[in-house]
Amino acid sequence: MQYSKQLNTTIYWLTQKRWLIFAFLGAFILFLLPAPAGLSLPGYRILIIVFIALTLIISESLPLPGIAFIIIILEVYFGIGDPNSIAKSFMNDAVFFIMGSLMLAVAIVRQGWDKRIALGIIKLTGNKTHWVAFGFASISAILASFVGGHTVAAIMLPIALTLIKYTSKDRKNVIRLSAYLLFSIAYGSLIGSVGTPSGGGRNVILIHYWQEFGMPQISYLEWMKFAYPLIFIQIPILSWILWKNFPPEFNILDNGINKLKEQVAKSDYITSTQITALIIFFLVFLGWVFLSEKVGLGIIALNGVVMYLLTGCVTWDDLHKHVNWGVVLLFGATISMGVQINNTGAAEWLANNIIKIGGDPIVSIPAFTDGLVILLTTLLANILSSSATVAVLGPITLNLPGDSIHIGLVMAISSAFGYFTAVAAPACTIIYASGLVKAKDFLKVGWKMGLASIIILIIYANTYWVLIN
Amino acid sequence: MKILIAISSKEYSKPTLQVGMLAAKAYNASVTIAYVGQKISAFGTSDVGLAQESNAKWGIERPGVRVLEWAFNYLAENKYITPEIANAGFQRNTLVDHGKNRLELHLKGNYCEEVDLILRRGDIIPELRNEVAQNGYDITVIGRSKKRRMAHDLVQYIDSSIYVARDLLPFKEFRLLQAVDDSKGTTKALLYGSQVAKAFNMPVDVLTVSKRESFGKGYMGAHKKALKIFEKVGVKPVSMLKVGDPVKTILDIATKNHLIVMGVSQLNPIIQFFKGSKPLHVMKKCDSPMMIVK
Repeated sequence: MQYSKQLNTTIYWLTQKRWLIFAFLGAFILFLLPAPAGLSLPGYRILIIVFIALTLIISESLPLPGIAFIIIILEVYFGIGDPNSIAKSFMNDAVFFIMGSLMLAVAIVRQGWDKRIALGIIKLTGNKTHWVAFGFASISAILASFVGGHTVAAIMLPIALTLIKYTSKDRKNVIRLSAYLLFSIAYGSLIGSVGTPSGGGRNVILIHYWQEFGMPQISYLEWMKFAYPLIFIQIPILSWILWKNFPPEFNILDNGINKLKEQVAKSDYITSTQITALIIFFLVFLGWVFLSEKVGLGIIALNGVVMYLLTGCVTWDDLHKHVNWGVVLLFGATISMGVQINNTGAAEWLANNIIKIGGDPIVSIPAFTDGLVILLTTLLANILSSSATVAVLGPITLNLPGDSIHIGLVMAISSAFGYFTAVAAPACTIIYASGLVKAKDFLKVGWKMGLASIIILIIYANTYWVLIN
Repeated sequence: MKILIAISSKEYSKPTLQVGMLAAKAYNASVTIAYVGQKISAFGTSDVGLAQESNAKWGIERPGVRVLEWAFNYLAENKYITPEIANAGFQRNTLVDHGKNRLELHLKGNYCEEVDLILRRGDIIPELRNEVAQNGYDITVIGRSKKRRMAHDLVQYIDSSIYVARDLLPFKEFRLLQAVDDSKGTTKALLYGSQVAKAFNMPVDVLTVSKRESFGKGYMGAHKKALKIFEKVGVKPVSMLKVGDPVKTILDIATKNHLIVMGVSQLNPIIQFFKGSKPLHVMKKCDSPMMIVK
């Protein structure tokens, strides 16, 4: 009986960890095979690590820190670098930024600005559903472009849920309305997150790669000049697609809006802590705009965190509890892996193979290269996560022929096309966790939004960017 | 005795809750009603936690709380919890986060001393397995799942007896169908079957199926023993000896008004994993409620 129980436990473990076993078994077989022609041995081995890392991240068969440690350990064991060089590639300004932005998110969400934002949106939009949704998408996009989608979704979600709750007590009566409002927030955040470098960790990872690989770079404001107009093009399209896919059960949200106003009226007057928090964030923003080229976006984000801690706007316990340290470690490891993909020549080898397969159009038609980069990035972003996608794909796409700024920006922007799944971006995960939208809803509307965004980006990158250059 | 009742929604889980609470009442057992919410990507767990805290400040409950509230109301209406607790209503703010992905609301029961409502999040099989492993339940009550592999995994990996509820029980017409062979699993299943038959005053059919034309000593002995056990508890069972494929025969005999009781298979877990077992095949194909005793 005991033997049978233990055997059963082993079978259970094997079924739960089947992807882990597949990853290591596959890696072992690849390890025994010779490196392909033209690829160095360290280059081949880093690609084996990429195979393991991608399998483990997608299947989530290990906790995120475990995956991060496997990447680092294997980089040393496979002779790709010595422990000190791997450690150096692990910690950099991009990781500082990811850590800092996750902490800033906690500090900002804690300030209770949500009620004032709610009031602001209602004043602007009135009580018509399509204007409210448009307001949600626009405000989410603008805020997300500076503070990141995860912060915005956490702030905006209760506003939308309150509207839904007071519009009808029976959730069956507000299924489409729920999807309409929640997707406005999540997709609005995704669209906005490409507007500035501080909008998402992936943008900062790209900037780090430009620096690390000795490529030309752009300032915070130049990035905005390239990317921000796209937000204004995409938001009306988003609102139209959502309206068509989830025609709401209520065209006027009188009940919900009145109740929301009542809730907001109950909140206190603006406090000195809220004013302090706002001033600190404004200083951080100024720092990003004017100092980031000298001291880095990450250092400025951490500077903001220190100011929040000093002024008591947030406590360390709160930060410690709500920051996903696993994500920080994993992005450190994936960036280290990305750097090694480039340094070992694996990125160049892969890029050359892509050119061989793609043929002349890749070299001669920029729009073709853009399309390829967008498709690859969108596909991976929807199953992996947007930041991890840029960390892994970045070194390869930056080795493709063409302007590295152009290709880098195309990749960073398309990594935000995570419309198809709930795992692509934290904003999508947050609305999914509300239980009011289903995985199939992401697919239903995501492919339309994805297709529209891909076409718009190809046209935009090859017209507007050419004009401003 | 400890009973775990896994519920999913008020639309589908009423039979599960009904039968679980009736069993808890009959055995004076401690009972835990669990809702397992959808799994969140590891990338978003902290962000989701932060968003849910913001929601709580606006008075918006987290997913699953409504299902627990429905379960609470069911308990109150059917007097499973004390009048003081029932009258106070469902107190969302008393859901205690014990960490390890488990929120709990402890209630005082009328018939069962302990009644807990819990909220977990993740994949259903690992979550129920952890819950059973951590708290040592004797029976896990589940509803019928649309996922083909779900029944298999529940029977194989959850270390407690499994009761699969179907529709609401029409008790007056209900019969117990006890499947008997000479395996070790049958002995424990007989104990459960006889207790249930006694507690709910159910008529019993004792069924033994042989693949061969004649019944061997082992099968006949087990069958006679089963009849005696039921007679001992004051139930007069109907004896049924059939020849044929056991799974097919059980499925032919079982109607919607039968509660099938079978012992867990004694086959090697590896064989069960690939080929399944008799109880599992019956569970997958039949429309009757069923108990697999471990």
